[in-house]
Amino acid sequence: MTVRRTNGDNLFIRYLILGSWALFCLVPVLWFLSIGFRPRTEIITARPIYLPTLSLDAWHMIWSDWPMAKYLRNSVAAIFGSVAIDLALAIPAAYSLARYDYKGKEDIGFYIPSTRMMAPAIVAIPIFFLFRNMGLLDTIWALMLIYAAINLSIVTWIIRSYMTDIPKEIEDAARIDGAGDLRILWEITIPAVRPGIITAAVIAMVFAINEFLFTLLIASTPDAYTLSVALANFTGGSDGLIYNAIALVAFLAFVPVFLVVAAIQRHLSRGLTMGAIKG
Amino acid sequence: MAHIQLRGIQKKWDTIWGVRDATIDIADEELLVLLGPSGCGKTTTLRMIAGLEEPTEGEITVDGQIINDVDARDRDVAMVFQGYALYPNMSIYENIRFPLRMRNIPRGTHDQRVREAADMVELGQFLDRKPAALSGGQCQRAALARAVVRQPRVFLMDEPLSNLDARLRQAMRVQIKRLRRHLKITTVYVTHDQIEAMTLADRIVVMDGGTIQQIGTPDEIYRDPANAFVASFIGAPPMNLINGEISHGRFHADNVEVQNVDIDTEGPVTLGVRPEDCSVVKSGASAHNLTGEVFGVEPTGDITFLTLKAGCGTMEIKASRDYRAELGAQETIAFDTDHLYFFDAQSGQRIRQS
Repeated sequence: MTVRRTNGDNLFIRYLILGSWALFCLVPVLWFLSIGFRPRTEIITARPIYLPTLSLDAWHMIWSDWPMAKYLRNSVAAIFGSVAIDLALAIPAAYSLARYDYKGKEDIGFYIPSTRMMAPAIVAIPIFFLFRNMGLLDTIWALMLIYAAINLSIVTWIIRSYMTDIPKEIEDAARIDGAGDLRILWEITIPAVRPGIITAAVIAMVFAINEFLFTLLIASTPDAYTLSVALANFTGGSDGLIYNAIALVAFLAFVPVFLVVAAIQRHLSRGLTMGAIKG
Repeated sequence: MAHIQLRGIQKKWDTIWGVRDATIDIADEELLVLLGPSGCGKTTTLRMIAGLEEPTEGEITVDGQIINDVDARDRDVAMVFQGYALYPNMSIYENIRFPLRMRNIPRGTHDQRVREAADMVELGQFLDRKPAALSGGQCQRAALARAVVRQPRVFLMDEPLSNLDARLRQAMRVQIKRLRRHLKITTVYVTHDQIEAMTLADRIVVMDGGTIQQIGTPDEIYRDPANAFVASFIGAPPMNLINGEISHGRFHADNVEVQNVDIDTEGPVTLGVRPEDCSVVKSGASAHNLTGEVFGVEPTGDITFLTLKAGCGTMEIKASRDYRAELGAQETIAFDTDHLYFFDAQSGQRIRQS
């Protein structure tokens, strides 16, 4: 009996700690949600209003006064496009790093993540000129490319660590059974590392949707605005700061990622820890 | 139908030798076992036959045709791996079917062939499952079915039973033997387990340190070992090796003496005597060879293992099932002098009777 009670207490304390932590992390989210659905007059007050009046003003405003649907479409296109580019390049690269032996392999393996080590501002100006010369400024194609470039290293790295974990015997078996290199990659290796590919893709999506600096640099009109840059544009103009609209747009940018992450939570935690150990 | 020849095969990685100068002739339909401790080069040899490793030097031929440059997938061999190597994302059915698909065998025949192969290893009712839902023994049988499904020229097996427990190993050994008799395919089988080697092999190749120590039938390997390594590797418990000296036709070491040795050598030699060729005799018996102190007694039911400590080292003896003794007691042992082996003290090479 005593043993059971200690266990129960333990469990209760665990839930208490984890619950408090979750609440602590979620408070900002709940708070900006409550800001989004309250009238402007209740936002900036001497004392915070914890139970505001429900108002859909900001909700109507973001859809009627701004091309929100377009921003959303731009975001989605740029993000999915960039993830597609990343996977197309990272899977063969990761396979090569995980499976073949060649001179300089370890160095190349290091150069890839090293692209993440420098401050993005350093390359901002060169990248601006690069895209201007290519005539891609203010297009979602440019966003796709830049997001893909930013995330390629981490995507490669995650997939590589999954591939390294697959016993080489399986590929040897496939070779003896009569499969060529591409066949093995397509039919054996890729299905076996599917959780890793999903993890990498989601992480790339999260980074892409939050990307701000390069998007601001490249997008100068609503043609290429994404949600993250659109957010910044609510902070100007004759109307002053429209905090409730900002809050709603931020929420719009947050929901899809949240849903995806929640859906694949199990894969994600495994992928992240594996990356941590292996990487 | 395949007659495999390895001629002067060498494998070297930078400065590390994998296999040195291996020459093996594998007859059609033969089951050849490569036996040795880990790191002896047996798996490397097998992988070179499979085409997964390239020999640094030497030729591999199948039916007289050199296959060194033939890609693994074009060699028409099938291999069973130690870790099963089933494709985790495919059902057992798809696993077994995979080699048929890869080799463009007419689709219409697939279903029948997969089911036949699965039935051969009694796996018929598990075809829908994924490998993760199968036990080790079932996985290994699935791997066997995948190997037999397209009836290759050569079977290669890399320690296929070493991940299984003892009872299952025995059952699978019988299954492999039956399967082979039925299919009549040349087979090269790698193991470190001498029981597997003795029970399955037509011939055994004993390897150590990348070098072939002896090639022979299980009987030859057991009865007529070429050197001290082979002698001590085959047999459970292994052959007792006693370092001593021969002078005037008499072998002696601490607590050990053998009269009328029929070899011509004088000086230091190693005497080999199998545990089954030792018997416990009454103390003071006229014909005894060794005295020692009882160090351990392990009754196993049908036989009792006796460990003796003598001046020359520790001796393993197979005693009768009724044998019992107190630890520390003195025992007297007689050797079956028809089954003694002498090895060069330095090289370990067998010194044969004159």
